[in-house]
Amino acid sequence: MRKSVKKIIAVILACLMLVALFACGDKKTGGDTIKLGWMGSLTGDQAAYGTCESQTLKMLVEEKNAAGGILGRQIELICYDTKGDAQEAVNVAKRLCAQDKVCAILGPNASGQCIAIQSVLDQYKVSDMSTVATNEKVTVQDGKLKEYNFRVCFLDPQQGKIAGTFVYDNLKFDKAAILYDVNDDYALGLKDNFVKVFTAKGGTIVDEEGYTAGDTDFTAQLTKIKEAGPQIIFTPIFYQDFIMIHKQARTLGIDLPMLGGDGCASEVLFDAADAVDGSYVINHVSLVDPAGDGFRAQYAERWNGAKMELNGYMAHDAFVLWCAAVEKAGSDDPQAIADAYCQVEVDGMAGHIKISSEDHNPVGKSGCVERIDGKNKTYIFETYIAAD
Amino acid sequence: MDAQYYLQQLVNGICLGGMYALMSVGYSLVYSIMNFSNFAHGGVIMVGAYVGFFALTALHVPFLVAFLLCGLGSGLLAIIIERLVYSPLRKRHAPSLYFIISAMGASIFLENFVIATIDGTPRNYPTIFSNSINIGGLSLGVDSLLMIIVSAVSLLILMFIIQKTKIGLAIRACSYNEKAGTLMGINSSLVIFVVFLMGGILAGFAGMLYGMRFIVKPTIGQVTNKSFVAAVFGGLGSLPGAIVGSLLLGIMEIFVASINSNLRDLFVYALLILVLVIKPSGLMGKVVEDKA
Amino acid sequence: MFSWYYIEGILIQSCYTLLIVLGLSILTGYTGMFSFGHAGFVCIGAYVSVVCTMAFGLPYWLALLIAGLASMLLGAGLGKITLGLKGDYFCIATLGVGEAIRLIFNNLQLSWTARGKVFLLDGAKGIASIPLYTTFGKALLIVAVFLTATALLMNSKHGRSMLAVREDELAAQMSGINTFRSKMLAMCMSALYAGIAGGMLAHYFGYLQPKMFLMTKSTEYTIMVIFGGMGSITGSVLGTVLLCALPELLRAVGDWRLVFYGLAVIIIMIVRPKGLMGGKELPVGKIIRAIGGLFAGKKKDLPPPDSGTDPGEEAQV
Repeated sequence: MRKSVKKIIAVILACLMLVALFACGDKKTGGDTIKLGWMGSLTGDQAAYGTCESQTLKMLVEEKNAAGGILGRQIELICYDTKGDAQEAVNVAKRLCAQDKVCAILGPNASGQCIAIQSVLDQYKVSDMSTVATNEKVTVQDGKLKEYNFRVCFLDPQQGKIAGTFVYDNLKFDKAAILYDVNDDYALGLKDNFVKVFTAKGGTIVDEEGYTAGDTDFTAQLTKIKEAGPQIIFTPIFYQDFIMIHKQARTLGIDLPMLGGDGCASEVLFDAADAVDGSYVINHVSLVDPAGDGFRAQYAERWNGAKMELNGYMAHDAFVLWCAAVEKAGSDDPQAIADAYCQVEVDGMAGHIKISSEDHNPVGKSGCVERIDGKNKTYIFETYIAAD
Repeated sequence: MDAQYYLQQLVNGICLGGMYALMSVGYSLVYSIMNFSNFAHGGVIMVGAYVGFFALTALHVPFLVAFLLCGLGSGLLAIIIERLVYSPLRKRHAPSLYFIISAMGASIFLENFVIATIDGTPRNYPTIFSNSINIGGLSLGVDSLLMIIVSAVSLLILMFIIQKTKIGLAIRACSYNEKAGTLMGINSSLVIFVVFLMGGILAGFAGMLYGMRFIVKPTIGQVTNKSFVAAVFGGLGSLPGAIVGSLLLGIMEIFVASINSNLRDLFVYALLILVLVIKPSGLMGKVVEDKA
Repeated sequence: MFSWYYIEGILIQSCYTLLIVLGLSILTGYTGMFSFGHAGFVCIGAYVSVVCTMAFGLPYWLALLIAGLASMLLGAGLGKITLGLKGDYFCIATLGVGEAIRLIFNNLQLSWTARGKVFLLDGAKGIASIPLYTTFGKALLIVAVFLTATALLMNSKHGRSMLAVREDELAAQMSGINTFRSKMLAMCMSALYAGIAGGMLAHYFGYLQPKMFLMTKSTEYTIMVIFGGMGSITGSVLGTVLLCALPELLRAVGDWRLVFYGLAVIIIMIVRPKGLMGGKELPVGKIIRAIGGLFAGKKKDLPPPDSGTDPGEEAQV
């Protein structure tokens, strides 16, 4: 190619980029709307959860707007993808607070992300109501309450207790092994609490194996676990790893059931229905409770037969709570809404919700354990266990 | 810990090594002929995994057909990349640095193109080979066995083609000196075409088998980093070396993982640095001089 | 349109990224070697600087300096063992080192009490609550200092030696240049820059995690260098500003950003391997060089980096 042609191409490239630089960013300044922000994993390993949350919220906001909105104003829902990354979550939070100027944020679905955005929330005094972030540090760290972090779900200490109780009291197992992601706050918190409760009851942890997020081969750890002879394997991880671990375990001839936390229940599990059949998951609500039929049907109708994930229920509860808080505050001032969160009570899909002003966590939650039915691709309800 | 346990870990290591082998053979092939590191190989493997996945779930074709489609799809992609990205550079005798950079660019393009068009959510293959084989108390999955078999068979076929056929002779000639090869009447474009096609087909198989055994997501191209280390360890430029290096790496990695799983990746990269510092040509690789 | 807080954030990020890219550009553009693991140096710098400020209570500037030196030490060590390798192998080695550094920090668990507070370095969860010392003013100052320093260096004997090594190593050696020393200098400089940038990064985000230094980050820096043009200071500035500021503003098409980058790299390598600036500097550069010339005492003008030996451009038709 001639030099002159190349120069022209180079200049065009540069111009294109400059144009792109200025062509974007003209935000539609809506009329008199109330801006609600949402962030979560729309892509990446937990995409199923984030997608369900955002779709549920869109559905609920449409419904509410059709009924007249809130405080006589329409709700504008702004959703961003955190890609499951804490750093991205911080960027997104900054954008929601500084740029879009939302009055409150719902989500994100992961503890790690919630913890990361704390400083942004504190700076802008915008509240965040998390749907399924269960790590203790999300609302209280080192004894200090985080002013703008809230949640509608139970905590890992409670979940660990539910897990330990279920394995020892319900299943009557006293030998358990653990396989978990050593770098994930969620997995660590859950594991520690399980160990505490289980051993206190008299159980023994025969083996504890770790892996790093991103690993796909678990054969080394599983072989070691098999050698130790547990009756059940506790896996406080997310559904994608849950699937892979099951597949590899079955290949290695390990037929033990496994118990997963609230990060494991997902429709995606049934991609490997044979492998996960017979294992258990802990959840915030029963995924097969008939009381939720209407909600599930509404979601399926709105989103082309899509199936509801756990996050949908929690997103629903967070939204209902937010609506109540806005009505109580009487305005869309972020600080007023944050204050109002602790003053309202609602009935959600996951039971009655009242946020404690001491630790910004819901009071009196319980969890349910369900067994995976691989053949019918559904869950079998086992039991409810009180979180406290 | 009895012998059974260690033997099982050994089997696990061989299975893991089999996976690295399948990925590194195609990569080592291109290096041995073209003398540059095809970083885009990972991307081609990843695309192969997706092709297989959609063939099985969207088109509902039987397994063997999907398998062949994978190979073809990836082979085609490899050739396209060669024609569009490497050919122009080769024609103007660009320094090998440019090739590496372009390869990197291609790899980034592939990975993010898939993320942008399909999305980054992982996908699971429908279970086809969920059974495992049990020999004397040792278990290994059929999918792992398949990987080992396919790598071994591919190696044999490749060695046969390169050593015993006319096109293989042409390939070998061009790997020493492309200009001289063309002077002898060899169509170097055809030679390169064949090399990349073979590498691409292998990548496709590797991708599909990886997807079946583990998972399908846009970032699996980065798993090939380890198979890449295996190729260096075994000796870049040597096909048997790639297999040997892969198996050894797999076994060592599993044993490190059984002690402390968090050290496995670090071990692999430490090995890479060690190899490069002590003996860059690896176990069985050819030594390439810079300027005589 | 955009709040100042938001823009300031982007500018600060551009500043320290520019520093990294500048360092990388020196390594690549002036010595022809490519590093695919530069994020590793940034990582070291970041962690060392945080240890300095949080555990030992040192002032920000001192911490940055120590961080840079630590990085430089690592660069020197790395250079000693890998600079003898052939081009390809060098790239692979840097890739390995970059990943190895990240993985080491992934597994490192340190905790000690200093000055009455517990200091925790927690493996992959990193370090949190880092004091936010990096402001736009400071960042700009640091960048300005380094830009000038780089320009001065490039006009000195050392700079010309590095250029010679890039153009033809064998010939440079025969001219009496100690190629190993030139390459080492480039390596150490780029590591120093990366280390200091790491310190700035850590004190801007307020938290640090090894996964902020993945290989993808190294490749992003690489792309910026290629974009602007290897061995061009203004090219580095341009490349960074465009590719660092752009992603934040183009958040809507975020996924396609890297697709575009990958494609752009390929196109640039084929069409205009010298990058946007073509290895040349803006007239601004000439002014800086003139000042540099004054300092160096010689009034000779430096030949532009791409004189004559353009590989396969027009010569071999």
